[in-house]
Amino acid sequence: MTLALIVLLPFLGSLCAACLPASARNAEAWLAGIVATGCAALAASLFPEIAAGHVVRLSIPWLPQAGLELYLRMDGYAWLFTLLVSVMGALVVLYARYYMSPRDPVPRFFSFLMAFMGSMLGIVLSGNLIQLVVFWELTSITSFMLIAYWYHRPEARHGARMAAIVTGGGGLSLLLAVLMLGQIVGSYSLDDVLAAGDLIRAHRWYPAMLVLLAAAVLTKSAQFPFHFWLPHAMAAPTPVSAYLHSATMVKAGVFLLARLWPALAGTELWFWLICGGGAASLLLGAASATFQRDMKAVLAYSTVSHLGLITMLLGMNSELALIAAVFHMMNHATFKASLFMATGIVDHETGTRDLSRLSGLRHAMPLTATVAFVAAGAMAGVPLLNGFLSKEMFFTESLQAGGTGGLGIALPALAGLAGVFSVAYSLRFIHQVFFGPPATALPRTPREPTRGMLLPSALLVLGCLLIGMLPERTVGGALAIAAHALLGDRLPDYRLAIWHGFTASLLMSFVALAGGTALYVVLYVRGRALRRTPLISRLSGKRGFDVLNVTIFRGARRFVRTAFSQRLQVQLLLIVGAAAVAALLPLWRGGLAFGDAPLTPLDPTFAMLWLAGAICAVGAAVQAKFHRLMALIMVGCVGLVTSLTFAWFSAPDLALTQLTVEVITTVLILLGLRWLPRRIQFQEPLRHTLRARLRRSRDAAFAIAIGVGMAALAFAMLTRPGASRLGPFFLQNALEPAGGRNVVNVILVDFRAFDTLGEITVVGIVALVVYALLRRFRPAAESIDVPRAQREGLIGGGAHADPRALLPEGDLKIPAVLGRLLLPLAALVSVYFLLRGHDAPGGGFVGGLILATAMIVQYMVGGALWVESRLRIHPQVWIALGLLAAVAAGLAAWFAARPFLTAQVLELHAPLIGTVHLSSVLLFDLGVYLLVVGAALLMLVALAHQSLRSPRRELPGAVDGAAL
Amino acid sequence: MQPTFTWSGVAPALPEIYLAAAICVLLMVEVFFGERRRGLTGTLTLLAIAGGAALTLACAQVDARVTLFSGMYVADPLGTVLKLFAFLFLALALLYSRAYLEQRDILRGEFYVLALSALLGVFVLVSANSLLSVYIGVELLALSVYAMVAFDRTSGVAAESAMKYFVLGAIASGTLIYGMSMVYGLSGTLRLDDLAARLTEAPSLGLVLGLVFIVVAVGFKFGAVPFHMWLPDVYHGAPTAVTLFIATVPKIAYFALAFRLLAYGLGGLTGSWTQMLAVLAVLSLVVGTVIALAQTNIKRLLAYSAVANVGFLLLGFVAGTPTGYGAALYYMLAYVIVTLAGFGVVVVASRRGFEADELEHYKGFHARDPMLALSMMVVMFSTAGVPPFIGFWAKLRIIEALWETGHLWLVIIAAAASVVGLFYYLRVVKLMYFDAVPAGLPATEKRTGVRFALGLNALAVLALGVVPNPLLELCERLLG
Repeated sequence: MTLALIVLLPFLGSLCAACLPASARNAEAWLAGIVATGCAALAASLFPEIAAGHVVRLSIPWLPQAGLELYLRMDGYAWLFTLLVSVMGALVVLYARYYMSPRDPVPRFFSFLMAFMGSMLGIVLSGNLIQLVVFWELTSITSFMLIAYWYHRPEARHGARMAAIVTGGGGLSLLLAVLMLGQIVGSYSLDDVLAAGDLIRAHRWYPAMLVLLAAAVLTKSAQFPFHFWLPHAMAAPTPVSAYLHSATMVKAGVFLLARLWPALAGTELWFWLICGGGAASLLLGAASATFQRDMKAVLAYSTVSHLGLITMLLGMNSELALIAAVFHMMNHATFKASLFMATGIVDHETGTRDLSRLSGLRHAMPLTATVAFVAAGAMAGVPLLNGFLSKEMFFTESLQAGGTGGLGIALPALAGLAGVFSVAYSLRFIHQVFFGPPATALPRTPREPTRGMLLPSALLVLGCLLIGMLPERTVGGALAIAAHALLGDRLPDYRLAIWHGFTASLLMSFVALAGGTALYVVLYVRGRALRRTPLISRLSGKRGFDVLNVTIFRGARRFVRTAFSQRLQVQLLLIVGAAAVAALLPLWRGGLAFGDAPLTPLDPTFAMLWLAGAICAVGAAVQAKFHRLMALIMVGCVGLVTSLTFAWFSAPDLALTQLTVEVITTVLILLGLRWLPRRIQFQEPLRHTLRARLRRSRDAAFAIAIGVGMAALAFAMLTRPGASRLGPFFLQNALEPAGGRNVVNVILVDFRAFDTLGEITVVGIVALVVYALLRRFRPAAESIDVPRAQREGLIGGGAHADPRALLPEGDLKIPAVLGRLLLPLAALVSVYFLLRGHDAPGGGFVGGLILATAMIVQYMVGGALWVESRLRIHPQVWIALGLLAAVAAGLAAWFAARPFLTAQVLELHAPLIGTVHLSSVLLFDLGVYLLVVGAALLMLVALAHQSLRSPRRELPGAVDGAAL
Repeated sequence: MQPTFTWSGVAPALPEIYLAAAICVLLMVEVFFGERRRGLTGTLTLLAIAGGAALTLACAQVDARVTLFSGMYVADPLGTVLKLFAFLFLALALLYSRAYLEQRDILRGEFYVLALSALLGVFVLVSANSLLSVYIGVELLALSVYAMVAFDRTSGVAAESAMKYFVLGAIASGTLIYGMSMVYGLSGTLRLDDLAARLTEAPSLGLVLGLVFIVVAVGFKFGAVPFHMWLPDVYHGAPTAVTLFIATVPKIAYFALAFRLLAYGLGGLTGSWTQMLAVLAVLSLVVGTVIALAQTNIKRLLAYSAVANVGFLLLGFVAGTPTGYGAALYYMLAYVIVTLAGFGVVVVASRRGFEADELEHYKGFHARDPMLALSMMVVMFSTAGVPPFIGFWAKLRIIEALWETGHLWLVIIAAAASVVGLFYYLRVVKLMYFDAVPAGLPATEKRTGVRFALGLNALAVLALGVVPNPLLELCERLLG
């Protein structure tokens, strides 16, 4: 439970802090301080158990499917780190209380700081690798927020984003590595992974996994070649730099390396990857640090270098080196955080961190100078300070790790060189800031800071001194516990002491001290401004990062411009093309032969018919954009050919229906066309360029290819023996039991009566909608042009026929007479078709269309006013009656206790007439008939009334169309 | 056999029947009261949704699988859960978009009726057990959505997008039914369970061809590359309230489409369609991620992010195992929850005459509206797959499923795409939190109810990420 509390406490504190008002600086600081010390106390309370070598565990089921549980695990190593994180946290909180200006919004700062602390503790205490990744990413997010704390500064935003992307990318790489580890071991639990070292090292995925893991830890710990983000992260407030970017977050990488050391280390690859990355960072960081002007940049590069030292130690595959690495993690945290705090004090009190402007501050702030002096000594590795101890261990290890070959000389040489640089920059840091003549042109007058700021720094320096002088008494126990937790039985003999006798490593230490001093003197005396790092200043990861960033964005834009378009034509082309390619791929391999079903012999007449139809179809497509009337006529021809085709293949019923549908739709569309411009004139100048022609030819070729392909595919499918067909079922059942010879009609009114009922309802609704939509429609002024024939006096008209006259005058007289004679005849024919529909071609639908066509003829010839003043058919009523009749036919079945729409037959034996065969099917068909007539007429009325409404302005004497 | 209707033969389909009835009633209400009381239909719709959810829950099939209407319709736990989620998501989408519609004078009953009929399409698809009902569901959904895109009749861009969507969608529907006809012709059955039983031996070339066309249609519906062209245009052109709808609720239907049609019905051809989907998924991941970088409009950015996410979702199907389908379901739900919050913020942040759809408009958003900015940040982090948000687990489950089936390359591509994705998601966060507020932006909408719902939604993204187990377990149980 204590473990859960350690992780939860900071998050709870973070929530509370976020809710406090912006001015509550003291309350925030107290809250954060209590949380941090609370965590430290909780960790300390576990000391007896940890010291006894136990591992404290806590597991809560979280995600059993993925083998995940919330598993906290504290052994000696984790305990040491927990203590480090929480104690440093407490000190930083104290420092930040006085560092942050009253104008800064503190709740955000402390809230994120505590969230970070919680995440860091989560990493440290995770007993499960996936969970570790979660916390790992959380530290990236909180670090992003904290670096960008002063978000009005551009460098803060840039630095934050860079840090987040680099470490976030590293986090994903870690996730992959962890997933691989989990697959290799079969569990994500840390215990299992640590126990399966041999299995992991022998696995074929080991190299890939290790590369990914190395990428993750190198990014997190700011190691070469990913080190560039750390100096830019220095835009953060100094407490953040002290806490995240020296003491804790950057340690997460090396922490993990050490954590997994027993399972992963011990191979050549490990040595080259880890030790190589560390060595490069060690040297590059130290060299760069020597030449920085900004105090924080010196510390940032020095951090890169020191973390490189730790990484190198971890890469050496030796147990002693591991212990030295853990020891140096502690030491580095103490002196580097203290130096950051001192830098913050200088910045806070003088207003600048520029080494070339600062000078002689020891007069104004002697205490700060002392503290910084000691801490820098520890950083340089001066004897009697803690840095000396771990650095000497490092030298010893570097002498042994390389073996006897060239590496045996290269490693110590490299270590020594880095040591020289390290002394030089430490010296420069102290000498330029605190010694020399007092600086004059500073933004603020320097003075000693408040005690609250000095105290944490001083405490840390005290730690440096104590550890440096009495290592075994102070940290010896803790280090032993941590080392035991990591290594278990493999723990080698080691001794923390100041004096090991005259050894090669002692010599190296002194050479480094002397060399560093000499180097600094040379550089200082030569008076060069030390502006740029020689040789390697061009080797900037930041530049690479920026170039990559910009390239990705530019490349994306270019890709969008070239590969995609917002034009529909292009989109269609791409989609259809992709579908075609997808369909061609399987064909490519197998090829699709045409089937062997017998083909209907081809009749030349029929072929000619279809040729004509095809030409009309193509013509309609071509003309659709330019001349609608012509297109409509050609579509009509296509319909005619279709109708003939049905007749050809012995489907008179379909042919009849198709024909009537063609007629009525053509007329209705014609009425609508009246309100569209007849021809479309294209003004586009680009229409006739070569490019446009090429594009159109390409589209045409593509369309033809796709069409032919689809036809071929359909043919290939149709010529195969198919599965069971529906046709025979209907043919067998149409006459008996359904009782009709016209199978199509029987399907419509009997087998699929429910569908038909739905369809006629839809037709009725559509008619009503058309009527409702056009009720208030007024055509645009430019479309009410008088037709050319009328304008030139070829035909009379323009004015509407007088509704009172029996026959219209002029050209339309004879058509009017013929049309009226046709009406009763058509009505008779339509009823005939309705009645015979069940056994012979015909039916309600066809019948209704015939009557509707006859009515349309009346409208066309007589004009809307004339017809409607005599019309006794009210379309709405017909629609309603039709639907009612159809439903009644369905309901009739209920009286015979049969399901809805079951056909009912009544045989009447009437005298004289003989037997009358009455079926509810007939009633249903009557419903269809009525509805079709009503719907067609209603649409007609709606369209026809447009012609009345528009010319109203010119003809004030005419009857108002809206009144009808 | 005399087909008869009995209560038990209809009861499992009650949600659909109820929904159809509700649509009719709402239409009538709109006709008679719509002009006088503008918001009435909207309110009634939300009530109808609540009632529908209760009804669905009441007649839920707990662990049985029942087929109705001659095997056209199936009621099973998966269907029930998906329907309940669809109700929830639709309710949220309508809630967020109400003020938006009101300010632009398009708060009409038809919007709600169209949304409900789209929902009915979703339901039909979710419960489809026949190629025909699949097709009917797809079309009902698509036709409603086309009309919704063009709902703001005064907007030329919206009309253009609707037109494009319609034309391209018609082609997709054509390919779908073309493929279905081939499959039917060669297998002789429309029922998906029969199909699953019959297609067991190695597929013939004709079947593979039919499958290609079906996969093309599925890819189009999802918006997978190279059939994604409509998606950014429609997301961008449609009124944001409609985009919010399109981006969320239909995804359930498309998941159902892929699952019922491919994973279940054509399960015998898994080997073939996983390969095709793998190509689509990889292309979507790469293209979606890369192109999103170049966007300056947040609706387009989210559209390309949707393309990339679809790539991820399809990877779940590529695994071809129940674990993979479960992961895909979880991914879909997670994606919809996150997207609801994302577009919800865009909708709530816009005012009349100000669409809040350019990235520019989000500069310094934190200073203008901290709560919305926080929600958006949660959305961005979750979409980027950063723990502990829900998006992380979704991605993790997909990757694990792929891992189990040995698709190492796909895993690597997916992870690489996620890294690039970090760039643009973080860019939005940076804009919102670290840039200066440009002058002249109107204040955001301040209705408490909507903001409360939106806040809960964003909180859910976090909470379901911290406690991912219940939802994950549900998904696994449904498809395990």
